[in-house]
Amino acid sequence: MAEYSRIATGTIVSNGGQTLVVIPFTPDYIQISNRTRAIAASGVTDAWWYRNMGQGAAFRDLYGTGVQYIGQTAGTTTAALSALVGTGFSTIEAGLSLQYGPVYSHNSVATADFDIAKSGAGGTGPATTITTVTPHGLTTGNWVVFSNLAQTSTTGMNQIAGIPFMVTVSSTTEFTIFWDTSDAVYTAFDTATSTGNVGSFKKILYPVLYFPGVSFIAAITLGPTTTVQTTAPHNFVVGQQVAFRIPKIPGITPPAWGTTELNSLPNPLIPGSPIYGYVVSVTNSTTFVVNIDSTFYTAFNVVIPYLSYVGLNYPQVVAVGDVNTGGYPISAGSDLYPSPSVFNGFVTSTSVGARTINGPAIQGAYCNGTFRGFIIGSGVSGTAEDIIYWEAVMSDKNYP
Amino acid sequence: MTSPLILRSNNSQEGVLAWVSERLAVAMRQAEDLILRDYVVSAASEIMAGGGSNADNPTNLGISDFSLVATTLTTNNAYMFMSGIEGMDRFGTGPVRSAFFMLSSTELQTDFDALTGSGFKSQWEYPSNTSALPTEYGAVFNIRILTSSEAPVARGASANGQDVYYNTVLGKQALTHISQDGFSMKLIYRDPYYSGMLAQNATLAIKFAQAQALTQDTAIRNLLSTRFYGFFN
Repeated sequence: MAEYSRIATGTIVSNGGQTLVVIPFTPDYIQISNRTRAIAASGVTDAWWYRNMGQGAAFRDLYGTGVQYIGQTAGTTTAALSALVGTGFSTIEAGLSLQYGPVYSHNSVATADFDIAKSGAGGTGPATTITTVTPHGLTTGNWVVFSNLAQTSTTGMNQIAGIPFMVTVSSTTEFTIFWDTSDAVYTAFDTATSTGNVGSFKKILYPVLYFPGVSFIAAITLGPTTTVQTTAPHNFVVGQQVAFRIPKIPGITPPAWGTTELNSLPNPLIPGSPIYGYVVSVTNSTTFVVNIDSTFYTAFNVVIPYLSYVGLNYPQVVAVGDVNTGGYPISAGSDLYPSPSVFNGFVTSTSVGARTINGPAIQGAYCNGTFRGFIIGSGVSGTAEDIIYWEAVMSDKNYP
Repeated sequence: MTSPLILRSNNSQEGVLAWVSERLAVAMRQAEDLILRDYVVSAASEIMAGGGSNADNPTNLGISDFSLVATTLTTNNAYMFMSGIEGMDRFGTGPVRSAFFMLSSTELQTDFDALTGSGFKSQWEYPSNTSALPTEYGAVFNIRILTSSEAPVARGASANGQDVYYNTVLGKQALTHISQDGFSMKLIYRDPYYSGMLAQNATLAIKFAQAQALTQDTAIRNLLSTRFYGFFN
């Protein structure tokens, strides 16, 4: 009897792995029905979870097999589903930034190791490949950060350590990031053979609680307009004003990072007046175009000698100002006042972001992307593009 | 953004209510601070410290880092927060430059102390403490340092896997915090009669809505640093 309870229902498109559902409370009961799997007569058609089962657990109905139980994270389960432990449902409260997931490194779990291949020439998309020995547990759209990429004391890839990267997952043991590591200044990295077996990466749990924020630049295409590719989603929209911060690093040839003419200051024409670009089009979550004519600017490059990583400053682009470009239009089947959407580390698509819990906020302004809700884990989320109906409940009273 | 924190309590427990009210009021202000803190972490551009000696990225704070970030802000025409403090005939004190504020973690205080004699001046060495804030730890060149245990820290996120500290340096015109009309901080108490049909439970809650924005992006920088490892763990 409802004094404090909440109930919410809805539809979500599965991304084939961890699929986020944002709701304005933290549920203690979740149920899903997968329409696509039911029609196909294969896979997980239904699943449900009670809070008392623990995070990552689930009951699931596997077509043709019947009801199965997935144990909670780091818990025990039946032998038949031991590989699925922790892949059921979990609740989430994303309110504080700078939180990280478990560290993946040499023997962080039994036999764990990873290597980074020198690759990425061309700069057209995610390219540098990371291969892990054991499952990395990531989903396309997750963000990671690397540390200690020192193959020896003078070689490796520590130039990219500390940069937030969005990953594109190729398999359970392989993913790519967008950075060009083809130059000789980078040395292929392997935790199994690095000095002291150093090297690690970890997932950034809630990388976009407020947006748009600081983005790190991976590539720039010069021309009458300027195309910028970032290492992780920029969350800019058309009409957004942006400022560039491209450091000059002394003593490096070719001049790194190159395109310092884009910097908002100094302004040679109007001293003290920052130069801002307008976003004229958004190609995808990590690529946008600004209206600055950069035809004769210095080419951008990421050729940073290994030992220059100490105190290295990175090229950045930041949102500036509040540009009222209007809210999303109401359309057939949409919310009454659609909220802005965000690529928040839980979105597999690079073209359609996740809905926030805000009302009709102004696009282009800074926006709050904090959220609560639940994650449909890979053990119950079916395959990518499946249509899933869900119900979530927060009870008046829970008896442990 | 509205951020309700709700506690339920049985009635006839006035002592408990009084205690919970106090804690809730603290939580209310901390929530406000943390939201603003995380917003600044997200929105302000970054300068990696490179003047320290620990061979990390970012390095620990060196004197040149303070000079670099102050130079960046003054070149960008950012307004300083504080006028200087004129020198006085008091033993062990010295004049303090006009300054920007830097918001830092208390965990960095050992690193600041290590810069004594190289440019760091503790608040106790100011000619006069009248303009010093309660949380002010000291000053380096054109930056006065405020410390808090709630300052942002990215654990294990440096190139060498050490903690990264976000030291926010800001000019006067950089940042604004907007409390919307009718939605400033509210501590709400509903006695049991109004909180349930059976009048069994009271409701104690806080509610607020606020917005924040960078009003001038060129007047704010997050100076990222690590610690000099030997001092503190």
